[in-house]
Amino acid sequence: MAENLWALREQKKLSVAALANRAGLPIGLIIEYESGQRSIDPRHLGRLARALYVEESDIKLQTDRRPPATAVTAPREPARELASAPRPPAKPRERVSHSKSPPRPPAPARPSQITYLEGLLKRLNRNVADLETEIGRPVADLDRPTASELIKKLQAEAAQAGPVNRHRAYLPEAVDAYEAQYLSAAQEQKPVLHFTLFDGTSLSGQVTGFSPYNITIRRPDGSETTLNKLALVSYTKEAAA
Amino acid sequence: MSLGDYLRLQRARHGGVTPWEIEAATDLPKGLYRQMEQRYRAVGDDESVRILAGFYGVPFEEMRWRLDWPRKALSRALVASTKTGSPLTLHLWNGQEVTGKVRWWDLGAAAVELSDSSLIVIQRHAVERWEPREDGDVLSEDQFPKAEG
Repeated sequence: MAENLWALREQKKLSVAALANRAGLPIGLIIEYESGQRSIDPRHLGRLARALYVEESDIKLQTDRRPPATAVTAPREPARELASAPRPPAKPRERVSHSKSPPRPPAPARPSQITYLEGLLKRLNRNVADLETEIGRPVADLDRPTASELIKKLQAEAAQAGPVNRHRAYLPEAVDAYEAQYLSAAQEQKPVLHFTLFDGTSLSGQVTGFSPYNITIRRPDGSETTLNKLALVSYTKEAAA
Repeated sequence: MSLGDYLRLQRARHGGVTPWEIEAATDLPKGLYRQMEQRYRAVGDDESVRILAGFYGVPFEEMRWRLDWPRKALSRALVASTKTGSPLTLHLWNGQEVTGKVRWWDLGAAAVELSDSSLIVIQRHAVERWEPREDGDVLSEDQFPKAEG
């Protein structure tokens, strides 16, 4: 099930700046993505997925608005002088519209929205013509909010259809899938792994988390240690006693 | 360990000094250090290696031979072992020698099946040398590991 970008980022305990840095994207863009002001450009999806160490399909392209924080505030006490001399009820303010021009029509859908929409349709084994019949106009004529709504709807359908086995880009920095798979299995099955470090020391523990650069293990005494992969020589499953 | 990995390790050992700081402190052309460290093929020559050996305070020879064992050459050996099923011997940084069939490899690590059928995951940067060494210059795109999912 795809999740909001901000939720994934917070799960990984990353700041917006840290995510922007890891993904190589501007901070402002991340803020816009997280606030739902714009849907995630499919070209940036891979970078964000790698930075968060999740699959691309785990990230919602159109982020939902973050629920407001439920802050508990004490009711305000009225000021003493005001309490003694009650004011007449204030007149409701009139809303003054400064704009004389009529509201602007919504902007046309972004090319990235159309591309993503087509990709979603492909995943759902549907074609563009069917969708155009359904919505009564060509996909190319969609406006931005309508495209966004359609994407949300199709994303929900795609999520129900089950996870997609995506191929990651064959870029050198992206091809770390096999070790990630191995560590994912180790995190799930919790075997004890034996790590050999460059300085000659060795450590044992169960994998509790990992990233492209680190592996965090729980030691037999319950403490957690994060190992930088640069400091590692090798690791293997400890033979059963 | 390739020259690139060795430079990365040295940089970490020197408090994470940046490539730009290194270029500013030495006579290396702009951008060369980053390429020497990050490229999978061998980048650099005797002169640039000599400059960096001086900067890090390590013997020139300790750095120079690594230029002939780039990451790409290790990929070729891993590809050959995976395709043919023939065992590969890896000589590791800590003096350990591991021989076995390569079960999987990517650009961060390789898994080798030992004679007792156990699997050892070796970080690629820990591999110093290997046998047999495959010749050839170019690793074609279809030789890169295909990630599943």
